[in-house]
Amino acid sequence: MTAPALPDRRRGRALARLVGLRVLVGVPTVLLVAVAVFLLAAASPFRPVYQYFGVGIFSASDEDIAAAERALGLDGGVFDQLGRWLAGLLTGDLGQSLSMRQPVTQVIVERLPWTLLLAGLALLVSLVLALTAGTVAAWRQGGWFDRVVTTVGHTLEGLPPFVLALGAIAVFAVAWPVLPVAGLTDAGAAPTFAQVGRHVALPAVVLGVSQTPWLVLHVRASLISALDDDHVAGARARGLPETVVVLRHALPTALLPFVTVLGNRLPELVTGAVLVETVFSWPGIAAAVVSAALAVDFPLLAALTLLSAIAVLAGSLVADMTVLLLDPRVDADV
Amino acid sequence: MCCCVIALRNTVVPLLAVVAVVTVGCAAPTPAPGEPTPAGDGTELTLADGYEPDDLNPLLGYGAEGASKFYDGLYARDGERNLQPALAAAEATPSPDQRTWTVPLRRGVTFHDGSTLGPEDVVATYRAVLDPDRAATIRSTVPMLTAVEPVGTDAVRFELAHPYGSFPARLTSGILPSEVLEGGGPVSDLPVNTRAVGTGPYSLEEWRRGDTMIMKANERYWGGAPAVKRVTVVFATDDNTRAQRVAAGEFDGTVLPPALAKAVAEQSGMELREHASADYRTISLPFADPVAADPAIRAALNRAVNRQGMVDALLAGQGQPAFHPIPGVLPDQVEPAAEFTYDPAEAARILDEAGWVPGPDGVRARDGRTASFTLMYPATDTIRRDLAQAFASDARAAGIDVRLEGLGWEAIEPRMGRDALVLGGGDPFDPGFKSWQLLHSSNAADGFNNPGSYANPQVDAALDAALRAPDEASRTEQIRAFQRAYAADPGMVFLVFVGHSYVAQDRWDGYVPVVEPHTHGVTWGPWWNLEDWTPKP
Amino acid sequence: MSDSALLTGTHHRRDPGPWRPAGRPRPGSPRGRRTSGRARLLAGASGLVVLVLAAVLVPRLGGLDEGAVDYTAIRLPPSAAHPFGTDSVGRDVLLRSFAGLWVSLQVAAACAVLSTVIGTLFGALSGLLGGWYDRLLMRVVDAVNAVPHLLLGIVIVALYRGSVLAVIASIGLTHWTTVARVVRAEILSLRGRPFVDAAISGGASRMRVLRRHLLPAVVPQAVLSAVLILPHAVWHETALSFLGLGLPPHLASLGTILGEGRQAVLLGSWWIVVFPSLLLAATTLCVAGVGAWWRDRTLPRRRSEQAL
Repeated sequence: MTAPALPDRRRGRALARLVGLRVLVGVPTVLLVAVAVFLLAAASPFRPVYQYFGVGIFSASDEDIAAAERALGLDGGVFDQLGRWLAGLLTGDLGQSLSMRQPVTQVIVERLPWTLLLAGLALLVSLVLALTAGTVAAWRQGGWFDRVVTTVGHTLEGLPPFVLALGAIAVFAVAWPVLPVAGLTDAGAAPTFAQVGRHVALPAVVLGVSQTPWLVLHVRASLISALDDDHVAGARARGLPETVVVLRHALPTALLPFVTVLGNRLPELVTGAVLVETVFSWPGIAAAVVSAALAVDFPLLAALTLLSAIAVLAGSLVADMTVLLLDPRVDADV
Repeated sequence: MCCCVIALRNTVVPLLAVVAVVTVGCAAPTPAPGEPTPAGDGTELTLADGYEPDDLNPLLGYGAEGASKFYDGLYARDGERNLQPALAAAEATPSPDQRTWTVPLRRGVTFHDGSTLGPEDVVATYRAVLDPDRAATIRSTVPMLTAVEPVGTDAVRFELAHPYGSFPARLTSGILPSEVLEGGGPVSDLPVNTRAVGTGPYSLEEWRRGDTMIMKANERYWGGAPAVKRVTVVFATDDNTRAQRVAAGEFDGTVLPPALAKAVAEQSGMELREHASADYRTISLPFADPVAADPAIRAALNRAVNRQGMVDALLAGQGQPAFHPIPGVLPDQVEPAAEFTYDPAEAARILDEAGWVPGPDGVRARDGRTASFTLMYPATDTIRRDLAQAFASDARAAGIDVRLEGLGWEAIEPRMGRDALVLGGGDPFDPGFKSWQLLHSSNAADGFNNPGSYANPQVDAALDAALRAPDEASRTEQIRAFQRAYAADPGMVFLVFVGHSYVAQDRWDGYVPVVEPHTHGVTWGPWWNLEDWTPKP
Repeated sequence: MSDSALLTGTHHRRDPGPWRPAGRPRPGSPRGRRTSGRARLLAGASGLVVLVLAAVLVPRLGGLDEGAVDYTAIRLPPSAAHPFGTDSVGRDVLLRSFAGLWVSLQVAAACAVLSTVIGTLFGALSGLLGGWYDRLLMRVVDAVNAVPHLLLGIVIVALYRGSVLAVIASIGLTHWTTVARVVRAEILSLRGRPFVDAAISGGASRMRVLRRHLLPAVVPQAVLSAVLILPHAVWHETALSFLGLGLPPHLASLGTILGEGRQAVLLGSWWIVVFPSLLLAATTLCVAGVGAWWRDRTLPRRRSEQAL
């Protein structure tokens, strides 16, 4: 606290180093993912051009098929295709989605915002639930609330998000129809704030709850160990009120690792989004993964795989940057 | 301690801020393209469809059963299945030997592109059908046709290879403008595949593959401009997804499996529309397979399956047992003697007699060959999946092991000659012709026509005679003879005629129930005569 | 924060899925409850034995074919004749759920073995070769970890559609990275030990050292990893089958049954979803219990450090 300028500058340098290194390593990692996906496709018995022709493939001549492969950029070896695809990537051209019959870029631009909305709200639900329930459970460790939280947490951990989604549909589509269980809007309605808000509620809560158990158990565990820390014991010894001890002294120590954990939970959030969007017919990018897979739409699948890899790496980077900015000790470690 | 407090604020506040920004950023909604604007006045209609056509080309079979919104044929069926002139001005006039048919054309009809309908369009369309180089798949629907000529400025003459008494019934396929057919080459390359140009009550506004199709009313339609001005069809292949979305009020109607349709109608208060059909589901048996081709196996299977059980249990009562392709909705043409009763004991007796002996696991065998074959079903079709499972279960009870494989069509089609398949088809208009396509030996292994290559001389003879019959009475007699011949040596196991179930909003007048052919999706259904609908006041 | 962590940002994800139990309190801490580990082992192990036995025995003792269709028993609620009710084609949900559990467990076991073999070979190779090879191989691990496993699995089953092998491969090929990291770390720590040095200076070849000294030492770790992968594999199979990308719909597995459950829910037949879901949750919980006990026993301090 005496000379804030110096740590800030060191922090800035550390931050720059972190970002630089991650980008340096992230680019080859993403490239590696691209190569792996193309190798998988090359080894697959499935020919993407079949998708283009559909049932007509059985009557199409060899020349027609070859011409279509050329037009779709499917001719040549796997590395030719990969090269062309990567070159296209640099110019923002991700190819043509075979199942949606529109450019992959357009599919992403149209659908990504809806996924971000859903995932953002789910994360918010999850954060609020995890922080409140985790704190209370740790505070009264061994009490009835703690027992309920840990039991429910462990049980939910074992259930895939789609089971939760089915439960929500059972309640809201059949027993108690107060919230819509599918789609973005009502029939023919424009996607207004009210319309989308009503439709996003259920999927967002389901996705949020499905992500909560792991977070809540983490908050609880790290808060319990933080409550044992010397500075917390010191605060207690000074006779500070229990709320102050828990919320001002213990919780902040427990929150830093929580941020890291949150960043690293992104793959599970994506996985959850794939299942929840599919069950709730949410028109996001994660549900497009499933429809692309069912239609063997390779250009779209490849682009979405890469997109998710970038999202995962970015999520982890943002979390670590946040930790670096917030933790008074981290700058000394770097 | 001080640091900790700051850290807390610094952690929570930016996190909340980030989430808030993300949320707000997204919540300012960008209307998805193709999203219909609201219309409460009933001039717009949004439907969900479980099936998306591969193309919109009538020469490739699009709208072959009629009720296509983009095209008209020369003739069309009304709600009572009677043939009515459409682009034809009146009934066709046959020559005395019924080998030449003259069709007068309706005047003043225009295509969506503005050109006027004339004999040259009809001639160009049917010449494209006749030209083997253009590979029109509907050629097999007019096998008797040999030539087509214009007659003056307002009529067309069709020449046939042999007398065919109900030829006008073959003329329901859509007419294309001659301009789009210019240039030759396979019709599968025509731009009209994706940009329909016809004379129908609706024209294509936009088709986003895999997503939506938007149709708008043809204000110059010869039958009068439709009152429902804009129709959006959203493609959602999964039955449960459609059920959920339609129950959520997202659509004005959709097609659903019977049990699901009933449940959705109950929950959502929408109208349940159940239509009888001539849409059979049959197990096509491959004659290349020594087990499936065995006469005793085929005869036994036909007596081992509980057809009424399937209708009641799997179709929620919405359907009828099927023994052959002739549907019960045409009682005159059905031969009562050609029915199979559910009789497991009789099935066992047939198999015992033929030397198929039960093994230790209950599966029969003969001369070292196990009574076992593979049955394919399209994995995403829940009705065919359930029928396949029920068939396998019934066959297993008779000692025949049916191995199931749930596949996509692209995997099924190349194997149709080698493995059994849950096949669907049929129409209530000309079931004799349909039977000829499905079971006549001359159509063996021709795509979905007779995929198992069934060949039975008596069946062939009866079907040939039915097609050439000079009048309705002798035609019916031959169709009944065909059923008797088929039942004596069945080449497939017909299971059920599936009723079609739909849920629909009751906001329009003009709905007429109809008996449906085998169709996909919402082209038929309550909306088969959508052009005549008017919004309820 | 270590340098390698700084590089990749993926090192926290040693355990990719949601079954990591709550961080155990530090040993010796006044709040620590040491009994929980043993209790969880007992509960988990006995539960698992019961489930596996039931999965094997129930379909056989049920006296009925799980695929047998009963036209007179469509979507019947639970009763004495059908304790779990019947499904949309009249099959007994009890029989079918346990038959499905057995199929799911078999698929999961195959996936676990596949992941363990790939991971062990990869990790051993990386640890032994060291240097640039090691770095390159670890980048491959990072790349696989960078894509959410379900998504990568979906890509694989999409490209090799319609076979059980594709499902096994899609799970096996995405879950080996944990094993690879663990084995590599173990090999690295063993390489510095005197007995390895002695073997090398005694003239043993690299392969011989690997075979005779290193691999046997990492086997317990590898077995533990295989057990820990099991619930992930079950989870993945159900998710893929639920989405219609996994096992074919007529084959009973927990995933295909729950996939049909979507329609059941809309029709109000809750039992078709609830009972298989409970089986699924019970299975993953039991395996997680056993795995957590194993881990706490073999790696006493690592858990709580990882959590931080």
